Amino acid sequence: MELHSDETIWYFFKKGESHGFSLLFKKYYPQLHVYGLKLSNNQELTEDCLQNFFIQLFENRERLGKINSLKAYLFVSFKRRLIKQLQKKQNNIPISEAQLFKTNFTFSIEEISIKQEIQFLCTSTLATLINQLSPRQKEAIYLKYYSEMPTTDIAEVMDMNYQSVLNTLQKAIKKLRIASENQQIKTILKKS
Amino acid sequence: MDNKNKFDLHYFLSDASFENWAKGLNKNDITYWNNWIHNNPEHIEIVENAKSIITGINFNQHYPSNEKIDQALASVLPKVDITSSTKTKFKNTHTINRTIITAAAAVLLVLISYTSYSYLNNSSTTNHKTNFGEIIDLKLPDGTSVVLNGNSEIWYKKDNPRLINLKGEAYFKVKSIPSTNAKFWVITEDLKVEVLGTQFHVNTRKQKTNVVLDEGSIHLELKNGEVTKMIPGEMVSFSNESKELTHQKVDTETPYALWRGGTYAFNEIPLKEVMYNLETTYGVKVQYESEHLKDLPISGGIPNQNLQICIAAIEKATGTRITNKENILRVQENPIY
Repeated sequence: MELHSDETIWYFFKKGESHGFSLLFKKYYPQLHVYGLKLSNNQELTEDCLQNFFIQLFENRERLGKINSLKAYLFVSFKRRLIKQLQKKQNNIPISEAQLFKTNFTFSIEEISIKQEIQFLCTSTLATLINQLSPRQKEAIYLKYYSEMPTTDIAEVMDMNYQSVLNTLQKAIKKLRIASENQQIKTILKKS
Repeated sequence: MDNKNKFDLHYFLSDASFENWAKGLNKNDITYWNNWIHNNPEHIEIVENAKSIITGINFNQHYPSNEKIDQALASVLPKVDITSSTKTKFKNTHTINRTIITAAAAVLLVLISYTSYSYLNNSSTTNHKTNFGEIIDLKLPDGTSVVLNGNSEIWYKKDNPRLINLKGEAYFKVKSIPSTNAKFWVITEDLKVEVLGTQFHVNTRKQKTNVVLDEGSIHLELKNGEVTKMIPGEMVSFSNESKELTHQKVDTETPYALWRGGTYAFNEIPLKEVMYNLETTYGVKVQYESEHLKDLPISGGIPNQNLQICIAAIEKATGTRITNKENILRVQENPIY
């Protein structure tokens, strides 16, 4: 449980206090860093882009309107900025988000730990399965369980409605569950 | 309503007790949902799906190390133009900082379920009252904003909306009327606050009145006739009973009245003071397993929009365990720490 709520942090940030800037930076730099790396697969570009993102956010703080969820707002705006940078790097050839996720958005074995639900899969199998999900499913899974974002925020970041996010999550999890159950059956058959 | 539509994923996912069942957390919830499933076997598929979504996947989050974050912050800070806001505060003493107001107002809109009531009685008095744990945001007829904390009350005569009576705790952003230099008063059992345009916080709990001034300047007229002036960042306490008056500097970086944005900010405050806040805003009783727990210091912000979250934050900050049984909070040592 964090000691400073987003409301508190945003309040000080908008006031233009260094305290507020540091609080926001310390809380969201790590999360956006990992999200950016997943999207771009490029550490240098992510870090440059992230620094500029915070600087511009601070410069524009007075022009920003009402924000429902700080986290969702930061994720969306950073994603947009990063994608623009990636396009610039590739000689302004437009890249679709789906394209990005296909090539870049992968999870390593070290990032996955196993708990009861899908315990019959080893981490490497689970990682492979997750990486095989559709780009949207991967992003939904990432935002929900890695970034621990509430569903309403995910809807904002992925520009989908609430119900579609639930459906996407459900489909993704179902795929993993079925794979786990098959594995379980195989194990039982082997034993007997 | 069509039952098939009612029991959709959202129905289960938005139910906190269902989440407890899925995570195997609360005995009552587990019993309840096991029974529910037994009686509603036709929904088993969707229940299973909802459960899988809640339990989900465990990721080991690989975030950059603290040193890396600090390094990055150190390289960004020189590039942002941060002006110390306390300096500007002193300059425009009688103007209200618009950006602060919008930020604070936006925050409140998100956090608060608005259930205030206003009524008129015979002498045409307007009255606003909050229940335990409720915070409301009010606009007085003259344009002054008031944020009223839980278990608090203000009332004023309709023909004089700049003379406010207060019981409990409130934050005022007084609208200044430069043309007439009209004053604004807040009256408590202990004292009277006289104001031009300003922002300040008044708390009348604990048989005394605390006033914290954020911006502007105010005069306090104590019940014993004494008059004292306050400067921004100062907290004055006065009790009519003990006739004790204290001036104290408070941390302006984390305003004393931040509860209106959903956080209590504390700076080395003993646990018993913090718990007293909970008693008055949520109407709970607090018991301590041993005396020394009362003096554990708390620093930082404690979210206050919900008792459960608030308790969890306090447990974390003090390393104690707090159980809630029928509105009696018991503070205990936590063997893990």
